[in-house]
Amino acid sequence: MSEDTGNNKERGIYVYCMIKAPAQKKSFGNMGFGGEDVYTLEYRDFAPVVSTAAVKNYEVNDDEVELHRKVVEHVMKEHDVIPVAYGMAFKNKKLLLFAMSAGYKAMRKAMSEVTNKVELGVKVLLPKEDASWDGKEKCKSDFMEALKNKSAQSKELKLFSDRLVMNAAFLVDRDKIEDFSDEMGKLENKYANLKIQYSGPWPPYNFVDIQILSKRKGGFR
Amino acid sequence: MFIIDDLLLDQFGIRIPGLNLIWTLEQIRDFALREMYDPEKVKSNIKENRMLFELGEMTTDEYEKTNAKLLQELKLAKREAEMNLSIRTDILGAR
Repeated sequence: MSEDTGNNKERGIYVYCMIKAPAQKKSFGNMGFGGEDVYTLEYRDFAPVVSTAAVKNYEVNDDEVELHRKVVEHVMKEHDVIPVAYGMAFKNKKLLLFAMSAGYKAMRKAMSEVTNKVELGVKVLLPKEDASWDGKEKCKSDFMEALKNKSAQSKELKLFSDRLVMNAAFLVDRDKIEDFSDEMGKLENKYANLKIQYSGPWPPYNFVDIQILSKRKGGFR
Repeated sequence: MFIIDDLLLDQFGIRIPGLNLIWTLEQIRDFALREMYDPEKVKSNIKENRMLFELGEMTTDEYEKTNAKLLQELKLAKREAEMNLSIRTDILGAR
């Protein structure tokens, strides 16, 4: 576990994601923080996927972020998920359910948008040797135009590197992933001079942004 | 002579922005800190490092070393933002 800035003896409930409530309480195995069981609680027609864990400031740390990500990806194999931001731990069940009641409407709307869909990521970047290529704008619009046609929603993301030509996420129907991949194949052939990172399927991280009980972006969402 | 006058005036809380040596030095220092410890910039560097590793442009060892360095920088950047180093309290009460 990362550095603890609070009372390290305090145990609470860590939330990984939300799913539609299954017929009965479900366990996903001992894959949570500290090898704890990951299981579902229930709030109306939703089920938060949780494990017992320390209530503390969860600092960004590769291993722990990876663990959070793996749990959500495991759950999404069988369920549509609303991902919850890394680091959300509640002191007790009552507080968690209170947060859920505050965000219930937003969660229902989000769930209706992501049902039966996954996120796919596309990054296009210049090769190391050719940072001054002048076809960036045309390339970006080619990719966006073609891929928007194959997705339900799209979102352009921050270009966090000077080499990035495009960075975008697409919300795609599970049964249209192959169509999307075919289109990607065509674009990869057209732009064989560029480096392309096509990734997923991911939980819809970039298409759900519910913030409850927190003014700070990155809170409960 | 200018430096001594400047320091003396500063003790009495009198500052002439732009002409005041300490004020000027503080501005330079704050600018350098902002550049060095901008959390958003460090976060971008973390993402870029990860992307280059995933694309095979870095070895695992290079990735891990750079990542550890960047995470440390991010921690310092957050701490710097919380401390707000641009506010200085003088022992004589001048700010």
